[in-house]
Parts: sequence; structure tokens; C-alpha cells
Amino acid sequence: MTVTAAELASFASSHDIISLGVAADDARRQRHGARTTFVRVADVDAAPGAPIAIPPSTGEVRIVGTPASRAAAVQRVREVVAAAGKTPVSAYSLADLEQLAAAEPVPLRALLEELRDAGLELVAQAPFDQLRDARMAIEQVNIAGLALARLTMEKLPTADIPELYRQIAALQHDVGVIKAFAPLPRSTNPAVPTTGYDDVRRVALARLFIDNIPSIQVDWALYGPKMAQVALTVGADDLDAVSPLDEAEEGRRRAPLEEIRRNIRAAALEAVERDGRFDVR
Amino acid sequence: MTIEQIADKVRSGGRVDAAEALRLYREAPTPLLGQLADEIRARKHPEGHVTYIIDRNVNYTNVCVARCAFCAFYRPVGSPEGYVLGFDELFRKIEETIAVGGVQLLLQGGHNPDLPLEWYEDLFREIKKRYPTFRLHALSPPEVIHLSRLSQQTVPDVLDRLMAAGMDSVPGGGAEILVDRVRKLLHCYGKATADEWLDVMRHAHKKGLRTTATMMYGTVETDEERLEHLMRLRELQDETGGFTAFIAWSYQPEHTELQGNEATGIEYLRTLAVSRIVLDNFPSLQASWVTQGGKVGQLSLAYGANDMGSVMIEENVVRAAGASYCMDEVEIVRNIEDAGFSAKRRNMHYDVLGEPIFREREVPRMLELAIAREDGDDSVPAELMNYPARSRAGKQLRVVPS
Ligand code: SF4
Repeated sequence: MTVTAAELASFASSHDIISLGVAADDARRQRHGARTTFVRVADVDAAPGAPIAIPPSTGEVRIVGTPASRAAAVQRVREVVAAAGKTPVSAYSLADLEQLAAAEPVPLRALLEELRDAGLELVAQAPFDQLRDARMAIEQVNIAGLALARLTMEKLPTADIPELYRQIAALQHDVGVIKAFAPLPRSTNPAVPTTGYDDVRRVALARLFIDNIPSIQVDWALYGPKMAQVALTVGADDLDAVSPLDEAEEGRRRAPLEEIRRNIRAAALEAVERDGRFDVR
Repeated sequence: MTIEQIADKVRSGGRVDAAEALRLYREAPTPLLGQLADEIRARKHPEGHVTYIIDRNVNYTNVCVARCAFCAFYRPVGSPEGYVLGFDELFRKIEETIAVGGVQLLLQGGHNPDLPLEWYEDLFREIKKRYPTFRLHALSPPEVIHLSRLSQQTVPDVLDRLMAAGMDSVPGGGAEILVDRVRKLLHCYGKATADEWLDVMRHAHKKGLRTTATMMYGTVETDEERLEHLMRLRELQDETGGFTAFIAWSYQPEHTELQGNEATGIEYLRTLAVSRIVLDNFPSLQASWVTQGGKVGQLSLAYGANDMGSVMIEENVVRAAGASYCMDEVEIVRNIEDAGFSAKRRNMHYDVLGEPIFREREVPRMLELAIAREDGDDSVPAELMNYPARSRAGKQLRVVPS
């Protein structure tokens, strides 16, 4: 089913989330079938010298937090890459790196190349709403020989969804290297959380409007199993931030791998584990 | 019949049989189930309202002899963690409830052998004396059966006495799955068989009481048994018409003897939608945001639910099993309106009482549900001394040191 521009506009303003979900699921299945990827991510702190724990099942080691300086950013990448072995390492927010480059001052590309030389493979995230110049910054990532793990939204956008998603599709048209877009905001006001309808609408419209980014992603840890599972039925095809720990405190039944597979199966989809490079494991 | 033929039958207002319902449940795409359920909801509630009630879910005791395998809430007789709420504590809770616009208590508890029927009668009478318009949605069928056994009176007689004391309606708890094979495995056959649960409701309906019905799914039952549960409720509703609403929730495994996994969000939405399709004679279906969280709770409104249940104020049972979601009136109304409906306050009979209270007057925000009593509070209510205990622990408690 191809969705017309008029249908897209009417979906964006409608409360009929079921019809919207059906259209988005259709678009997702045309591209991915029932295949649903997930990645197990070990987070490590950005501070040099901080403990590094990488469980054996990790598919991506992610350095999280804002580096204090260019030297600290590079040193931390070296430490984590040395500990990670063959597991791909991603690090930092591209918006933080933009700021760091401006503060040092050094061209963003030079900073990215230093990080690459220290062993970094991926920039962990490019928050679309926080980048000064998204197109330029993402192009620099690419030219520096790094990959981008995902395009994200940090806050709940004020722009209307169709307009925002048109901008993101145009960005990808220019840069062509974005593999995954995570449309749900990473930080929201806890007193006024997003609603279920809101999340469904954002995910489904992302799949329908942004047809040039391969994967629509949801953060499993941030959005929880119930909402993440629903998102998989309305356009999302990739789950980020699954815990690499095989055993949780409560024992086997709560092991993340088992739980994620069970949720994907219960949504009549097929679970495929990938690593940070988007390669099947 | 194909799925499409069954769907057409539902669309034209036809009634599905057990085999057709099972096919839908197992094979129909989730969005199709949503569409069918939503069409039925819209037919039954064309005005576009979604209702909710401001009430408080109070568990007067956690001491229970039933010991259901899926329950994380109960404590055995004599446990230092066992409690009984005093009349004064209950009055205070009622006053807090009235202050935020609440109209009733949902009063349920464990099967405590040391609380005789007279304790309930005195409590209900006193509540009605102090708060004449306040409603008591009290004592699920297994509690009524427990009181019948304890007092050696018939279920109709127990109901008569409770009604005379002030019971207004009966909550549909303790139904779990109304299939005895399942009830035996869950150790809840002893508290009430499937027939006994339905019989209490039949008696209550015949006496003019309105009741709700529930289903706790996701333990050991098969798909067929979930459907059998729904069919049995539909049959009784055909006979009496006494059910106001149906509420399905998923088993919450944490801290229970049975353990296992919780059913997923999609399974909840499918179960809700099929319930709406099968229970074509039930006016209302509640969203269980308490077990599913606010987001899937709100999505329930697209899968057949027309009611957001209770603002709750207090919750103990689901929390004991690991889930702790909270939505106050502001949040419930925001979710209803965001889904495109208008929010209306209701009573237990689903009569609309009005617009949201917080739009009429200042009401404090409630960002956390209260609990039955504070941690470490092991006080014993004074009035308990007035009622004979059956258990040894209960008798010891009533011995006043000289
Ligand atoms: S579910 Fe009710 S009857 Fe069963 S053990 Fe818990 S409190 Fe007792």
C-alpha cells in the first residue's frame, strides 16, 4: 500500500491510531518483513579511568556522558576500545562533540578524526534537535571515517510532526548515511509524560514520512517492554539499548534476552540480534 | 468461516461463538481486532465519552487463609506482617477520598478468619451513618463465600445482611479464570469454584445489586480457557443483566509463589479487544492502566475500552506483585482527551456525575498511590477486641495483659 500525501496529512491529525498503525506496519513489512533487530548495549561512563564492565554478550559498547575535554574524550575512547576487543565501540552525542570542538577550538572534523584514530567506530547519537548544523555535522562524521549509530530526538519537538519529519527526510536525502532514526524523545517532563497515542503517532508517522532511513528504532530501556513492543507493530523495526546482562537479579525468567525474544514473538515478529555495526550476530 | 467472515459477522452486530472467538483471538491481526472492538465501543457509546471514577481501593486486611499461588499480597495468619485496618483508619481514608471528589471505597481484603461477619456489618453501618451518600463497592464473591462459611449462613443470607448494613455493589475480583482445572492449579479452587463465583454474582444480581466482572489471565490457562471464562460471563449476563463492566488484567508474577512471566502489552490489547467482541452484552469495559501502565492503558481506548477505571488513590495488591503505576485525575483526563474523547466522572453504576473535579475546584496533585498503612505500623485496632477470633494467633492478640 502506498500512502498518498493527503492520507499522510489526515493520519497526522487523526485520532484513528489503528488505521495509522496499519499503514505504518504495512510500510515496515514492505521493507523488513517480520524481521525485528535488537542490539545489546553495554554503557560505560565518559570519565577517563571510570570502571568498564563489558559482559560477553555485548553487541555494542557505548560511551555515555559528556567528555570534559578533547583530551579526555580521546583518552576514554582508547581505554574502552582496548577493553572492548572486537566489539564495536560507539561514543558521545554529536551535539556534545560539536560544542567541544567549538570550545577547544578545533574543527569538528579534526576532533572526529582523532577519535577515529583512537579506535572509535561510531558516534553514538546525533540528536537532531540539538545539533547546530545537522547536515554539516553528520557529513563530517562520514568524511572522518566514522559511522553514526542513530539519529535521535532529545526533547519533545514543538514543531508539528509532518514538518519535522520532512526536514529529517531532507537531511537523509543530503547525507545518506543515517541507518536508524529513533523518533521518541529521550528526555520528557516526568510530570507530563508522552501518552501512548502520542508515541504511536510519532513512530508510525516516522515510518510513513521518512521512507529513506532504513530503520525506525525504539529504546527498549527508556520506553519499557510494553510501549516498545507496541511500537514494533506500528512501524518500528529495531530495538536499541537492550541489556547485555544474561541474568537479572530476579533470576532466569527476567533475563533480558528471553524477555525481548518473548515480546517480539508475541507481536508476531521475528527476532534477529545485531551488533552496533548493524551486522547480524 | 474465514477471519474476514467472522469479522463481517461482528461488524453486522452478530454474536460470535466460542470457536469463532478462538479463531479471532489466535489468528486475527491485532489491528483488525482493534477495529472490530472499537466499532462495538462506538456503537455502545456513540456520545464519545470515556468515563472514570474517583474512588479508593482499600484492602482492609492482608491476612488470608486462601493462599492463592498467584498472590503476592496476602500474609498467613499469625504473620508479623499481617494487618487489619481499624475503623478510624478507614474513616480517615474515606475523608481523604471525599476531599479529592471521591464517591466510593472499593473495599476488598484477605480471608481473615478473625474478622466475623459482625465486624463487616458494624463497619458498613458506621460508614453509612457518618457518610450517608458514600458508596461501598465491597467484598468480591470469594470473600462473601468465606463469610458464609465462617458464619455458617447461606450466601443469600450473608448478602442480605451485608446489604442491610450498607453494601452497595459487588466488585468482580477473585474470578481469575472461571475454569476449575485452572483454579485447582492456582490454588484458588478452595476459595471459590467457577460455579460458586458465578452463583454469588447470580444471587447478588437477583437481589438488585450491580456488580463488575474480572479476568486475570496469563498464568496457566489455555486460550480456550480464557474464552470459556468470557463465555460463562456472557451467559450469566444474558440471564441477569447485572454486570456493569468487565476488567481484564494480566497476572503480575513478582514475589508470587507461582512466578513466571507477565503477558506482554500486545497480548493485553488482543485480550481486551476479544473481550469486547465476545461480551456483547456488557455495557462497559475498563482499561487496566494499573497493570499495563498509562500508555498501554490509554491505547486500550482504541481496543474496546470505554472507561479508564479508577483514580484509585490507594493500591496494595498489584504493587505487591511488582507493578506500580500512578495516574491522578489530571493525568487520567489528559490521557482520555489526548485520545480524542471527552472525560466524564461516573459512579459505580456508570451514571455520569459531571466534568472533571479539578476543573471545578482546586484538588491536590497525587503523584504517588497511597498504601494501606505505613511501613512499620503494626498497631492492632482497639475494636478488634470486640469480635471473637477463630485462629490461635487471633485469640492471643485479643488477650489483654493483666
Ligand atoms: S488473592 Fe485474595 S484470596 Fe487469594 S491469597 Fe490473595 S488475598 Fe487471599
